[in-house]
Amino acid sequence: MSSVCFYFEVHQPHRVKPYGALQVGRDHEYFDEKLNAEVLRKVANKCYLPANESMLRLIERTDGRFRISYGVTGVVIEQMKLYAPEVLDSFGRLAKTGAVEFVAETYYHSLSALSDLDEFREQIDMQMKLINSEFGQVPRVFRNTELIYNDDIGQFIADQGFDAMLIEGADDVLDWRSPNFVYRAAGRDMKLLAKNYKLSDDIAYRFSNPSWPDYPLSAEKFAGWVHGHSGAGDVINLFMDYETFGEHQWKETGIFDFLEHLPELLFTHPQWDILTPSQVIDRYPALGELPCHRTTSWADEARDISAWQGNAMQQRALAEIYSLGTAIRRRNNSHLLALWRRLQTSDHFYYMATKSASDAEVHDYFSPYEGPYDAFIHYMNVVKDLKLSVLAPAQKQIRL
Amino acid sequence: MKILMLGWEYPPHISGGLGTACEGLTTALASRGIEIDFLVPKLFGEEDAPHMQLLGAASAAHTATQAQAPAQEPAGLPARLSRLLAAEPSLATDPIFIAAAEAARAGTPLPGSADVNMIRVPAMLKPYLDQKTYQELIRTGALRESAIPDILASRIGHPLPDPPTGSMRLEHVHLPGVDLSSGEEQSSGAHYGDDLFAEVARYAMSATRRVEGRKYDLIHAHDWMTFPAGVEIARRAGAPLMVHVHSLEYDRAGHGADQNIVSIERLGLEAATRVIAVSYYTRGLINRVHGTSLDKISVVHNGVYTRETVEAYTEQRSSKGPVVLFLGRVTFQKGPEYFVQAAAKVLEHIPDAVFIMAGSGDMLPRMIAMVEELGITDSFRFPGFVRGAELERTFSTADVYVMPSVSEPFGIAPLEAMSYDRPVIVSKQSGVSEVLRNALKVDFWDVDKMASQIVGLLEHPELRRTIIERAREEIRHIHWDAAAETLIPVYETVLSG
Repeated sequence: MSSVCFYFEVHQPHRVKPYGALQVGRDHEYFDEKLNAEVLRKVANKCYLPANESMLRLIERTDGRFRISYGVTGVVIEQMKLYAPEVLDSFGRLAKTGAVEFVAETYYHSLSALSDLDEFREQIDMQMKLINSEFGQVPRVFRNTELIYNDDIGQFIADQGFDAMLIEGADDVLDWRSPNFVYRAAGRDMKLLAKNYKLSDDIAYRFSNPSWPDYPLSAEKFAGWVHGHSGAGDVINLFMDYETFGEHQWKETGIFDFLEHLPELLFTHPQWDILTPSQVIDRYPALGELPCHRTTSWADEARDISAWQGNAMQQRALAEIYSLGTAIRRRNNSHLLALWRRLQTSDHFYYMATKSASDAEVHDYFSPYEGPYDAFIHYMNVVKDLKLSVLAPAQKQIRL
Repeated sequence: MKILMLGWEYPPHISGGLGTACEGLTTALASRGIEIDFLVPKLFGEEDAPHMQLLGAASAAHTATQAQAPAQEPAGLPARLSRLLAAEPSLATDPIFIAAAEAARAGTPLPGSADVNMIRVPAMLKPYLDQKTYQELIRTGALRESAIPDILASRIGHPLPDPPTGSMRLEHVHLPGVDLSSGEEQSSGAHYGDDLFAEVARYAMSATRRVEGRKYDLIHAHDWMTFPAGVEIARRAGAPLMVHVHSLEYDRAGHGADQNIVSIERLGLEAATRVIAVSYYTRGLINRVHGTSLDKISVVHNGVYTRETVEAYTEQRSSKGPVVLFLGRVTFQKGPEYFVQAAAKVLEHIPDAVFIMAGSGDMLPRMIAMVEELGITDSFRFPGFVRGAELERTFSTADVYVMPSVSEPFGIAPLEAMSYDRPVIVSKQSGVSEVLRNALKVDFWDVDKMASQIVGLLEHPELRRTIIERAREEIRHIHWDAAAETLIPVYETVLSG
C-alpha cells in the first residue's frame, strides 16, 4: 500500500495598523481591526466555508476514506470567534467526522522556536489546550510555523512528547533520499513527514498558471502523477495553505472541481489510500534518520528562514520584541502578554522582507502595507509604545 | 533612422533635469545607431561683443577681469554680469543668473558623440522660464545687450551645411498673444521684446530656417518651448512629430497656470502623431489637463547615469544632530511647505534634527517666514542654490533626502541622492515613485506620515542600512539604455504607421 497525506494550514495574523511615529505614547490600539475583520470575512466566504463544505461532502461520500489534517492557529481562531463564528462551527463538524486530524503548532504562529524556547513551549501548550477545547482532540503531531525545522527544534519537540513532525522536503536536506518515506529526527525517536514540494506546489502555486507546461491541471492528470509513484514510496505528503482553495487559487480557476474529483480518482488505484499524519506514522516505519543541520522552512525559493530574518530590519524587529519578554512576564497582566504575543506572529516579519523577483511578488501579495520599509516603521512604533508602557514606573503605567 | 530633436538645454548648460535627460537619452539612442541632430536654443550668443572677446581670448580676458575686480567675483564672470551682481547681490543665488554665468564662463565645446550633431540656435529661452521671470531678466538688463545674430551652429562630428539665407515665416503655427503677422524674422542685431512668447515664436522661425532642406524621418520635440518649432518643421518636412512631455505647466504652477503656455502645450499634443510621457503619472495628467487620449501617449521612464555610489563623508558635518535634506527649486511644484510642516513634527521627537532647504525660488521668503512662525528657525538652514562640490557635500552629509513634490513628472534628484547612499522619501505624486522600490513613499500632503517616515529613518540604522543596500543595486537598473530600448520601438511604430 501507499498513501497520500493532506495537511492544510489555516492562519490569519492580527495585522498591525499603519502606526506613525507621532502616535507613540498616545495610541495604544495596535491592530487594524477593520482590515482584519474584512480579510477574515472575505477569506471565510471565498475559502473556509466552501472548502469545508467540499471536505465534509467528500468525507461523507467516501465513507471516511478521504482523510485530511489541519493546523488552525490560535490567532485565526480568535478572529473567527469575533468575525465569522460560522467558520469555527464548520471546523467543529469536520472534527466530528473522525476523518479529520488537527495537528499542533504555536498558538501565535510565531518564530519563538528560534528566539525563546520557554515562550515556544508555552505557545505550544496554549495551542494544545485550544485544539482540545474547540475540536476535542489531543494532537500527537507537531508542525512548526511555516515548517521551520532543524535538528535542535526536532529534539525539543520530541522531548515535548510528540510522535511526529511535519517538515519541508528540502532537496539539500533530503540529499539522495526521497520525500516519499517516513524518517526519524536526528537523535530522537520521533518521526518526520517531509513535504513533497513538487506535487504540493503543483496545486498550491502552479495550478492556475497558464505559462506552466502542465496547465491546465486536471484531477486525472494529478492522480496519474501520484499513481506513478506506486512501489517507489510509502507516502506522498501534500502540505499547503488552506487558502489555496478559493483564495490563492480563485474559484474560477476550477480548484474546487479539482478537489471534488481528486479523492475518488486516487482511489481508482487499489494500492493507494488517503491517511492522516497519525495514521501514516502508525502504519509506516521510519526508513532512517534524517539529519537537518540548517534551518529549513517552506517559504521562498531558498526554503530557509530568510523570509523572516533575511535583512537587518527583520533581525532588529525580532530582537526588539523578544527583548521585552522578561519585563512583560513580570507585569503579570494577561492582556499585555497577549498583545506582546500577537506581535510575535511571523507575518509581521514576513512583510518586512526585501526579496527580489518572484519571492517579492509573493511577499507583496500578502502584505497589507506599501512595502517592507513602511511595515518595519509601523511595527517598530507599536513595539516602542508597548515598551514605553511596560517599562514605565508603576504609577505611570498605562492601562493598555 | 534620422531624428531631429528639439531641446532647450544640454549639458553643461543646464538648470534642470531636462538637459540631463536629453543627454542621457541621446547618448543611449546614438549608441544604438540612431542618428540625431539636436537643436538647442542658446541663451548667450558667443558673438555678443564683450562676451566674444572673453571667449576669444580666454586667458587674457580672464586676467583683465580679475584685475578689475580681484576679490569678490568668481573668475571668468563677464564684466556685464559682474556689474549686475554688484548691483543686485541676491542674484548670486538665483538659478537663472547662475546658469547664465556658467553659460558665459564655459568655453569648452559641447559634448556629443559621432551621431549627435549639436546645433545651437540663439534664443533667450531657458527651461522653466515664465513670463514674469523672463521680463525680470530683460528689465534688470541681464540680457538687454545680448544682441544675438541670426543663426549660429556649433557642430560636433560632421559639419553641417550653412543654413539658407532669407526670411522665414511661420506658416503652420499661430502662437497665442503673439502678433507676427508680418511673418518676417527680425534681422540680425535686433533687440528682443519683453515677451516670452514672441521669443518662442522667433526661436521657432530660427530653428525652422536652420534645418530647412535637411531630411529627417521624425521630429522629436522636448517640452512646450520647442513645440511650435516642432510643429512647423514637421509640417514643412512632411515628417511625423513626436512630442516628449517632461513637465507640464500644470506641474509647475498648478491652478496658476499660464494659459498661453497651456495653449502651446495643446498645440503640440494635438499636432503630434505620438506623445511620450516621462511617467504614468504624467501620462494621466496630460490626459486630464489636455484631454489627449491615453492611447496616444507612451510612457518612457527617465534613467540615471550609473556611477559608483559615493561613500558619505560625514566628517564634514557642521551639525551634531541628524540632517534632513530638501534640495530643489523652492516653488509651488516642489512642495517645500510640506517639508517645513513635517519638520516641525519631527522636531517634537528628535529635537536636535537639522533641516536643510537647499535651493532658491519664489516661495523661499515664505518658507523662511513659516519656519520663524513655527519657532524652528534654529533647526533650519537655507543655503540657497548649491552646485558642484557644495552639492556633493550637501548630499553626502544628509541622513535623509525628502522630495515632497506636489506634482513631479519624473524627478531625478532622488536617484542622485541614492547614488550618494542616502535613503530617500519621495511623494507619490511623482513619476520616479513608479520605478523605485527601495524608497519610502508618501502623499505630499500627508505630513504626519512624512514625519513618521523621517523619524523612522533617523531612529533605525537597520532601516537606513537595508534601504541603502537595496537601493544601490536598484539604481543600477534605472538606466538610459532601458529608456532608449523602450523608445526605439515607439519610433518604429510611428514610422511604420
